[in-house]
Amino acid sequence: MSGEPTVNQGGIHGLKGGVLVVAWAEDAGGLGMRTADYLIQSLGCRELAEIPPEGFFPMGGVNVVDDVARFPESRLYISDRSNIVIFKSSVPRMGWHHFLTSLLDIAEQDCGVREIYTLGAMISSAAHTVPRLLISIVNNREIKAALEPYNVLADNDYESPPGQKPTLSSYLSWLAGQRGIPAVNLWVPVPYYLVPIDDPRSVKRMVYFFNSKYNLGMDFTALDAVIAEQNNRITQLFEKSPEIKNMVRRLEVGDGLDGEDSEKLAREIAEALK
Amino acid sequence: MGIRYIKEPGLVDPVMIAAWPGIGNIGLIALDTLRRSLRAEQMAYIEPYQYFYPKKVIIRGGELVELAFPTSEFFYHRGGKRDLILFIGEEQPAEGGGIYAEGCMAYSMANLVMDVAEKYKCRRIYTSGAAVATIHHTARSRAWAVPNAAGLIAEFKSYDNTVLMSDIEGRGGEGNIAGLNGLLLGIARRRGIDAVCIMGEIPVYLQGFPFPYPKGSRSVLEVLSAALDMWIDMEVIDELARQSESELTRLYEKLPDEIKQQLDRLKESAVAAAESEGLITEEDKKKILEDMDKFFKIDGGGEQR
Repeated sequence: MSGEPTVNQGGIHGLKGGVLVVAWAEDAGGLGMRTADYLIQSLGCRELAEIPPEGFFPMGGVNVVDDVARFPESRLYISDRSNIVIFKSSVPRMGWHHFLTSLLDIAEQDCGVREIYTLGAMISSAAHTVPRLLISIVNNREIKAALEPYNVLADNDYESPPGQKPTLSSYLSWLAGQRGIPAVNLWVPVPYYLVPIDDPRSVKRMVYFFNSKYNLGMDFTALDAVIAEQNNRITQLFEKSPEIKNMVRRLEVGDGLDGEDSEKLAREIAEALK
Repeated sequence: MGIRYIKEPGLVDPVMIAAWPGIGNIGLIALDTLRRSLRAEQMAYIEPYQYFYPKKVIIRGGELVELAFPTSEFFYHRGGKRDLILFIGEEQPAEGGGIYAEGCMAYSMANLVMDVAEKYKCRRIYTSGAAVATIHHTARSRAWAVPNAAGLIAEFKSYDNTVLMSDIEGRGGEGNIAGLNGLLLGIARRRGIDAVCIMGEIPVYLQGFPFPYPKGSRSVLEVLSAALDMWIDMEVIDELARQSESELTRLYEKLPDEIKQQLDRLKESAVAAAESEGLITEEDKKKILEDMDKFFKIDGGGEQR
């Protein structure tokens, strides 16, 4: 048996022209989830619906992460003061088509969603000081044109090699296209040494995009404070270790690091930001 | 969702042959060779969405232009002596994440395949795959036949180079057929249709590696040729087998002497195994596998990995 979406009592509020933002757990650097959390908090979202886990996840116990037992969760949140609908979910392990069509059904029929964005991170060898790019993969040309004013790169060519499966975001985007719903997979390259920690600059890049495109009037103070704190700690590390500073400089000018230096940089940054 | 027919040919008393990926892709290579040689035409497919995750994405200029799913296709051939339906699946629907089908999805797909067999009143169904055996890669692979009814045993005993489970040393007529090859036999029996799984032998030391093994596929085709009373062009499969053996011999030459010596003992074991105590014990087999695994993972042979 697969779980059917359950909608909270009094949840639906006749939204029209809604925008669905989708974040998956297990994303590099937790970027999608952190961005979704920031949007949920800033827009005062409330939980609207969930897709129960049965049929989509192996029910063979729980994973423990950071000392806490985790169970798969797939929840939809809605904001009363914008047309943004946010879906945060663990990545289903089976029944993908049913899972994604369930999401699209509730998004389209109950929330009036007419555009979809998925959030994701790519691991990058660039330095953390380099401005974050926002890369998009779209499912139709019209929405590609609509992204042009927002400084989004949209000209990638890619063919998945044999044995490497497409992302779940690509799958969702393709299914949305079958229904005539424009969808965009947004990707931000995250410096590899920040992947295990946090990259608030990447979160800001994502949030900034939604704020600009949908006039959300968001306040970035809290996010800027996190970025400043991270900068401060890395600067302190540079002062203590010119070697680490030099490694980051090499990344800034596009000189790669060898395996040993790469590992050392990641280790030292992780220690500094602990 | 289910079966989509592209055309519904009139077929007389057809036989269905099915194959999916597995060890050495033995069944798949055999059936694909047959399909090409007969120029069989596609008649139907199973919609993939319920069963599979996409296998490939193509993005051009930032636009997702194609998302491809594993295919599960039916082909047909109207023959002089025998009409055929061929089913070729690119993947097995495995809920457990392995390569072999298991769980409700596997059962559901096997039933869809059987629905086509029943619709066309197939008189028999063949599935095909690999039998892991203590043989050397220079030896001729035998075909193991497992029918779903005792009444079929005599027929398959009569075919050249074909053995039953009870002919295999230490098995006592028992064993297991993983995935859809096995599942289909069971479902066919439930529906009262004769079915036989034909498995070509693959050397035990190759079972964990992603090498195709066309020699095993040839053995499957030989049995099918006899059982269907049908000439099958072996030119292509023979060429594939030659290339494969040459590649494996090249690899074999790079192996440390100790491993080579162990593998060489397998040259004699296949013949002896059916008649007497095997020359290779379970302990030997385990050691060979461990050594091979160690060699490929740590010591070299990198281009094949």
